[in-house]
Amino acid sequence: MKKFLSAIFSIASTTCALAQEAPTSPLEFSGSVDTYYKYDFAKKSNIPTSFASDHNSVSLGMIDLALKKKTGKASFVGEISFGPRGQTQSIPDAAANGSSFHIQNLYINYDFSDKFSMTAGYMGTFIGYEVISPVGNFNYSTSYLFTNGPFQNAGIKATYKFSDKVSLMAGLFNDWNLYSATRGVSSIGGQLMVSPVEGWTAYLNVLSGADPTGYGTIEDLTTSYQISKAFKLGLNAANYDKADDAGGYAGVALYPQVAVAEAVTLGLRGEYFKIKDVGAIQGTSYTGLTFTANIKSGGLTFIPEIRLDHNGDKPFVNKTGGAAPNAGQFSLAAVYAF
Amino acid sequence: MKYCLILVFAILSLKVSAQQKQFSTDDNGKFIYYEVVETGTGKDSLMLRAKAFVDAYKKTIKKISNTDTSITAKGITVIDKTVLVASHPSGEVSYNMTFEAREKKYRFWLTDFKYIPYARDRYSNYVPTTNIGTPLEQTPGKLSAGAWKDILESAYNKTAKLAENFKKALATNQTEKLKKKIETISTKKW
Repeated sequence: MKKFLSAIFSIASTTCALAQEAPTSPLEFSGSVDTYYKYDFAKKSNIPTSFASDHNSVSLGMIDLALKKKTGKASFVGEISFGPRGQTQSIPDAAANGSSFHIQNLYINYDFSDKFSMTAGYMGTFIGYEVISPVGNFNYSTSYLFTNGPFQNAGIKATYKFSDKVSLMAGLFNDWNLYSATRGVSSIGGQLMVSPVEGWTAYLNVLSGADPTGYGTIEDLTTSYQISKAFKLGLNAANYDKADDAGGYAGVALYPQVAVAEAVTLGLRGEYFKIKDVGAIQGTSYTGLTFTANIKSGGLTFIPEIRLDHNGDKPFVNKTGGAAPNAGQFSLAAVYAF
Repeated sequence: MKYCLILVFAILSLKVSAQQKQFSTDDNGKFIYYEVVETGTGKDSLMLRAKAFVDAYKKTIKKISNTDTSITAKGITVIDKTVLVASHPSGEVSYNMTFEAREKKYRFWLTDFKYIPYARDRYSNYVPTTNIGTPLEQTPGKLSAGAWKDILESAYNKTAKLAENFKKALATNQTEKLKKKIETISTKKW
């Protein structure tokens, strides 16, 4: 740990002297608002992934407000949200007995040079394809990989940009999804970004340390490729092993998207997700297909979506309340970004 | 009352004048910002000053090639969206820039304007959503007509500002500018 910190500070002090003073940017203000209607074919909430959980109800997502400012080489981001998606359905809020807000991002960044920067605070996780904010996702419902992985990480990280095509991040983090650590700064994480061709970016991520209930290591690949003006392909694959053979998960999700008109893009999310065995307790696996459209008009995006999930172990319920291997839902969401 | 009418007329005139600012089109129907400037400066000095300008803007303008009399470069300009008094980047417009110098005159033009929208990423930073830009000449559908008009207006204003800075740089002798020292003021004698 000492050596790691010494290395960071020696790089920082060298690059600081070489860096040129950057101009001051105006205060940036942005945010989003989202609301949705969902109808579950079993007539009750059935699919156990995050957000958009209410059945047959016009329900709220969240209002999200973000501030950003850069002065010279230092910048900060403060992003806060209110509403079910950003409060009761987000883990830190539940742990805090339902506080009235949820911090999405709260960090300070310092660019020691054009290539080297350091960031400290509470940030959206670097693991995975999907995020909490509906503005950052194509689908309105979320994947099993997102639901079971980390949402956010508090910590300190250093990023070195070798070129526009390669960068490396390494950092020390608290346990997942907590504003302050319960088991100390207990995780180490890293991210290698490579962009082999223009339009294709891949992130190889590792996070090892304390999760909400124990310890474990996640390896994650998140990549997307804008193959043509109309067609984009995304992929997320992850493997999580909890320490002491306490289970974990593995999964893969594919995200093809095609723009069929200037304002209309159709997309599919196909996912396979397996919860691993824990001792004699058998794991289980889900498959999910989600068909989504994004219809844009200025800052507004309408998101109609149909989702069909399957699990042979019958974890879902049918209309009569009996165990069922399949679940389905339709939702229509409106997301406004400003 | 008279002053009120004059003020209203002045504001309306300014608005109409602002609305008239838009890109011209070239022989192929592409948007272009084109200027020919007569000057008292020689060709070699103009070339040096143009190179110095491109170097100074290296974060947003990259030189592609140059000859004894010309420079070609690619650049981007960020388009902002204003919310109340604050703003944030909403996209970027890329362009190709060409500069040609002759004795005591030069010309430059910016064309191939393409727009790439930004979206907020997981860290609340605005980043490009794609690497493939949409030509500014493209006629938008009804759903995005309003936003597209704002983008065109902002792209024109940013281009005109860049052109203004470029002309200022080419009218300034960089060597003399560097030689000028900051005046020191002595408070001992008065």
